[in-house]
Amino acid sequence: MAAGMALILGVVKVINLSHGAFFTLGAYVAYALAERGVGTPLAAASLAAVIAFAFGVFLGKSFVNPVRSHPFALPVGTLACALLFEQAAQMVWGPHPLSIEADAPWIGPGGLVVRRWGVIAFLSSATLLGGLQWILSARPGLPLRLIAEDEEIAGSLGMDVETIRYLTFGGACAMAAAAGALLSPSGAVTPTMGRAPLLLSLVVVIVAGMDSVPTIFLLSIGLGIFGNACAWFLSPQWSYIALLAAVCLLLSARPEGIVALSGRRD
Amino acid sequence: MATSRSLLRFPLRLIGPAMLFLHFFSIVFSANPAFAASRPDTLKIGVLAPLSGPYAAGGTSFVQAAKLAVEQVNAEGGVFGQPVTIVVGDTQGRVDVAKAEALRLVSREKVAALVGAYLSEETVGAMEVAAAQRTVLLVPVAATAEITDKVRKEYARYRYIFRVGYSLPQWAEMIGAFLSDRKVRRYAFVGAGIRWNRELGETLDRLVAPRGITPAYTAYYSPGNPAFDTVAVAAAAASPDIVILADPGRNSVSFLKRLREVAPALPALSVGGALGDVRLAASVPLSAPVYVQAAAWRGVSPAATAYVERYERRYGAPPVGYSDTLPYDAVMVLAAAWRKAGSAASEAVVPVLEHGTFAGAAGHYRFDTAHQAIWGTEPGALRGTFVRWERGGARIVFPLR
Repeated sequence: MAAGMALILGVVKVINLSHGAFFTLGAYVAYALAERGVGTPLAAASLAAVIAFAFGVFLGKSFVNPVRSHPFALPVGTLACALLFEQAAQMVWGPHPLSIEADAPWIGPGGLVVRRWGVIAFLSSATLLGGLQWILSARPGLPLRLIAEDEEIAGSLGMDVETIRYLTFGGACAMAAAAGALLSPSGAVTPTMGRAPLLLSLVVVIVAGMDSVPTIFLLSIGLGIFGNACAWFLSPQWSYIALLAAVCLLLSARPEGIVALSGRRD
Repeated sequence: MATSRSLLRFPLRLIGPAMLFLHFFSIVFSANPAFAASRPDTLKIGVLAPLSGPYAAGGTSFVQAAKLAVEQVNAEGGVFGQPVTIVVGDTQGRVDVAKAEALRLVSREKVAALVGAYLSEETVGAMEVAAAQRTVLLVPVAATAEITDKVRKEYARYRYIFRVGYSLPQWAEMIGAFLSDRKVRRYAFVGAGIRWNRELGETLDRLVAPRGITPAYTAYYSPGNPAFDTVAVAAAAASPDIVILADPGRNSVSFLKRLREVAPALPALSVGGALGDVRLAASVPLSAPVYVQAAAWRGVSPAATAYVERYERRYGAPPVGYSDTLPYDAVMVLAAAWRKAGSAASEAVVPVLEHGTFAGAAGHYRFDTAHQAIWGTEPGALRGTFVRWERGGARIVFPLR
């Protein structure tokens, strides 16, 4: 989800506050499939990605591209889209939490708990991010890199910048929906469930910087471990505060993001 | 002559605009609910609940139950032969909005009484409006002690406020009785880090100590980023006999799933809310008992069963037994009080509520001197119920009738 947000920030150059809504959409798609006896997370993630891509392309073409020259209109507009989706989800599925039955975990040596959905989600996101990293570093990703660097030069070289922008937007929305579908067995599915991941994704993208997919991946895992460590050693209630405080400290020290810290960003 | 003709023509000219003016006002008066409310042909109840925002699920059940109660009241002939209607104010889970909506319902919609709100903070805001406007407010679910403390300390101002739902000490007392019945000696108490949960946890600690029941682990997680894995592992590591889950929202489901992964044989008790929903309970592993506390449940009494069946027929799923059952009972209590008082005027209804007994789905309601409905384990008190989820439904386990 964070990688998708970074992609939108880098290529389309907007803060997409409707990203959490696509995460929610993915979870509802997984629930709808599970209700019909299709409990395979990969099937749910694939279908959710296709649906979210279509919605994302529509949103990118009809709203984001025309409005993106107005910097304040886009965050407000995408936030409005997210709220609209939450209301629509409430009307379709109801405001009550829904839940997907998760398979029993595998208990390893020393009481190690290995969740099936957790393994699938981890491997899927690693594959997805690996693929994204390959695309960005190889020839197919050249237009994205060029647009991220300088749109005018990309346009002067004959690239269809507008089309690439809304396709990128759709692809990033598909990644968020896939994440929602893969993580849906972990908890309850509600219309507002995308809000917390949206905030955490923003944190990850801002702290990691928008250029490095591996940094985003590692930072996502690192922040999760840090939050749980704070909950264990301090108090569960302090985990969120400690996490946000650490992010504030890091940003005040290096506003450019963590990648600049390692010298990869000029 | 010309002057007299023009003088005559002037009033004639006024007739057209006057007719238009009257026609305009007839439309405005009939369309505007504030004006319509002044007609004495319906009795209005203002319902305050969050229909948007993070508490929309509970708020929607709240309003659904209130609507069901009004339908029941009207099916019984209404009140004074008049139909009863509800006007809903969306509080959005915010204190300022709850106060504004309470004021709108009383001053513009001319409701005869209020039922709500949902969160304790909202309700404390709404009760200020109810007190200032001298309007009866029945509180179904907000549990903070501040509500009844205010009635006790400033009776003249807050005498219009009555709490139908259980207070925190009553809640803890009922949980304590259940723990004793299950022969629990050590418990883990886990919930979202909000004031209501802390108050319940502290009250429970104090109340069960004389029974020899002690807390083995207590944790309040951040609702924004709940570290469920850590809390579940720590709770299981403390080796309690049961985990008490004080979270009425969706996080209770997430936490229970984590708990089952690390401690499949550890029983859990939800103090009410989302885990009372049959659709959610169906997805939770039942490798160990999952108990849910509720105000009423199907099979507890004929009244409770009739209510549950009506609710299920109307909304397609049975109630969770808390945030829907108590608003239903609040409306039923209010309608019964109006009938007994022979009036919907607040000054006539307050003494009737103070001294009367009123039937609801959960049993017979009486109020103490702080206007708190009497729940607990004493004879004659409303007792609530504890159910255990099993494949195919829930079974009442305490108190056995």
